[in-house]
Amino acid sequence: MIRYTLTRLALLLLGLLVASVLIFVTLRVLPGDIAHLIAGVGSSPEQQDAIRERLGLDRPLPAQYLDWIGGLLRGDLGTSLLTGTRVVDELAQKAEVTVPLGILSLLIAVVISVPLGVLSAMRRGRADGTALSVGAQALAAVPVVWAGMMLVVVFAVWLGWLPAQGFPRAGWNDPAAALRSLILPALTIGIVEGAMLLRFVRSATLQAVGQDFVRTAAAKGLTRDQALVRHGLPVVGLSVITVLGLQVAGIIVGAVVIEQLFSLPGIGRMLVADVAARDLPKVQGELLALTGFVLIVGFVVDLLHRVIDPRQREAS
Amino acid sequence: MLRRTTLAVASLLAAGLLVLTACSGGSDQAAPTTPGEPDPDASVAIRLVLEPGNLDIRETAGSALDQILVDNIYQGLVARTPEQDIVPALASDWTVSPDGLTYTFTLREGVTFHDGQELTPQDVVWSLTTRRDTPEWRDSARLANVTSIAAEGQDITLTLSAPDSTLLWNLTGRAGIVLKEGDTVDYKTAANGTGPFVLADWRQGDSITFSRNDAYWGDEAGAAEVVFDYIPDNQAALNAALAGEVDVLTGFDANLKDQIEANGDFSLVLGQSTDKGTLAFNQTSGPLADKRVRQAIRQAIDHDAVIEALASGQTQYGPIPELDPGYEDLSDLAPYDPEAARALLAEAGAEDLELTLTIPSFYSTTIPQILVSDLDEVGITLDVNSVDFTTWLTDVYTNHDYELSFVLHTEAHDFENWANPDYYFTYDNPEVQELYAESLAATDEAEAADLLEQAARIVSEDSGADWLYNGASVVAVGTNITGMPSINVNERLNIAEIAKSNG
Repeated sequence: MIRYTLTRLALLLLGLLVASVLIFVTLRVLPGDIAHLIAGVGSSPEQQDAIRERLGLDRPLPAQYLDWIGGLLRGDLGTSLLTGTRVVDELAQKAEVTVPLGILSLLIAVVISVPLGVLSAMRRGRADGTALSVGAQALAAVPVVWAGMMLVVVFAVWLGWLPAQGFPRAGWNDPAAALRSLILPALTIGIVEGAMLLRFVRSATLQAVGQDFVRTAAAKGLTRDQALVRHGLPVVGLSVITVLGLQVAGIIVGAVVIEQLFSLPGIGRMLVADVAARDLPKVQGELLALTGFVLIVGFVVDLLHRVIDPRQREAS
Repeated sequence: MLRRTTLAVASLLAAGLLVLTACSGGSDQAAPTTPGEPDPDASVAIRLVLEPGNLDIRETAGSALDQILVDNIYQGLVARTPEQDIVPALASDWTVSPDGLTYTFTLREGVTFHDGQELTPQDVVWSLTTRRDTPEWRDSARLANVTSIAAEGQDITLTLSAPDSTLLWNLTGRAGIVLKEGDTVDYKTAANGTGPFVLADWRQGDSITFSRNDAYWGDEAGAAEVVFDYIPDNQAALNAALAGEVDVLTGFDANLKDQIEANGDFSLVLGQSTDKGTLAFNQTSGPLADKRVRQAIRQAIDHDAVIEALASGQTQYGPIPELDPGYEDLSDLAPYDPEAARALLAEAGAEDLELTLTIPSFYSTTIPQILVSDLDEVGITLDVNSVDFTTWLTDVYTNHDYELSFVLHTEAHDFENWANPDYYFTYDNPEVQELYAESLAATDEAEAADLLEQAARIVSEDSGADWLYNGASVVAVGTNITGMPSINVNERLNIAEIAKSNG
């Protein structure tokens, strides 16, 4: 187990290193530069050069990369060229919106998918089971933006129950208002992700039904459903955890779109604005933080899996 | 076990939802139908489109900064009204010598900065001198021919090397802003000006909040607080308005008029603007170097259909919009006539032309769609290349690597670009450059305007570009709001007189 953990950790670090190079190089390929954006239309090349020099953008790329990595090792993600604030601070501030949004979305996705997925598997072949399965397929195909618009029209514009956009200026100092502003965005991501997850839960459950230990339990006198719930579902839960880990990446992508749609000041919206402004040190920091987050979630899920599932430990 | 947990979470969440929605029950939806007494403690929320990257008024370009900071936070010796008249600000009055070489301003007394420091004549001298001498500062070149800036008592005297009919106008903008000498404020995220509002809060990527400056030297602002909410998407902005979350929407889509006015809480106001939807022609080489081809493109475009599609604005057939000096109706120079366009193209030997339009991606697809179909009518195939703004700046603006480009030029008084052959318009006519120089040197306003008018006619006759429309400033204003300006608000938005009643 220790050897596995260390190997897995080394892989994680290697992944981060590769990601950092990829992020750095890809961003340098983009046309357009921030010095020109700051100096603006009507500025002279000399004005732009002066700004570029002041921002350190005239230095060779390897030097810029090493600077960045050096800072990272000291726990410094760099500073924004545009605002001069520390990337870490801005990430922390925007995370106050994005992290709760992600957790809430995940919760909603789980709440929708697990019971309905199991139900749909147990009712396989019957009308309601088929309806559930087809409904999930349709929902999973719905574009996130459209789903969001519909929810806004119904709950914000028609009924006036929830805010249509924005995040309260008081932030989490006013928890009820903050939570209310996240409900519609989280529902939007949660429903679409939940529909995808539902299909997974359904097939995982169907697989479990066919397993020997469920059949054995049934042979010992339980009904098929009882056998499935007591012995099959823990196995289903295990694979759901793995998929949820993968789902984190999907939710981050969903957040980029949804934060735009609902004008939420989160990491996704900040990222889009920073790419448009070519605030490269900031985009680098943000992308690396997000990539790191997803890689770490994957790492934790893998370890968890091994701890929970005795079969995997034996296999190694 | 899993099922029990799931059920518990589900029911908790459902209960939470109910509680949250119940306590909101429309209580924050004040929807008065008639304006009542203004509430001096009110907070007004205004939707804006473009958020500034930082707040550094000295160096960072972009009308998003001028729009909110000039007039409200920072001031100069003079200011401009929405009608584009020049009026006193930090100077109570001024005189110009008959030869146009000496400007003398009388500085007001008792003016303080937001941090409590007093405004001194030396601050003005320092601000203008530093602006002129620091190339990185925005608009520094506009003060290039000011040879000396000096103070004597409360009098500030600017001496010029040559007359400059645009000087006063320039002083109403960035070039004229007065800062505290030796200020240590971090201009990127904070501000210290003399205006009627103080910067209270900036939540990047979300909103900027101003609160009333209680120590202001002039008339007190009408609202205690103004919040600028940055909502780029029109539909999201409409939803926010209908849900009662914003009081005023700027940069609105006039096509949504019926929807915003439906419940009677908002009315749409169309004001004039200096926005010029400019279709630039790269005329240095290729088919567009031929004036007949450019003229043909202008005549192939149905400008009235453009106005109809935008549901606002008016046609414009030359480089100067109606609000600016030198305007003249030039519609006879490029009437819509596809027949004539085809004939011109045939004459130029440019049939079956294929051209590329490079356009910043934040514009809607309305304009490219009209252009593609209109040009197709006369045998020109138009490829649309949508790029983000920084790419546009590099490719089109700096490298002049384009054939056709569309940009909404919002600046007032920007004829100078037609007198600058290095500008991305690539328009080069010595006669126009000469007329513009004469206009600058004119000491009489009417004469300066007349010279501009002559120059503008030549630019249009040369088909230096096509002007698809002169935009309107489209503002949806809550019925409980008074004092909201409606002219050219995308460029400058003076919020001092905005007030809100509670119904």
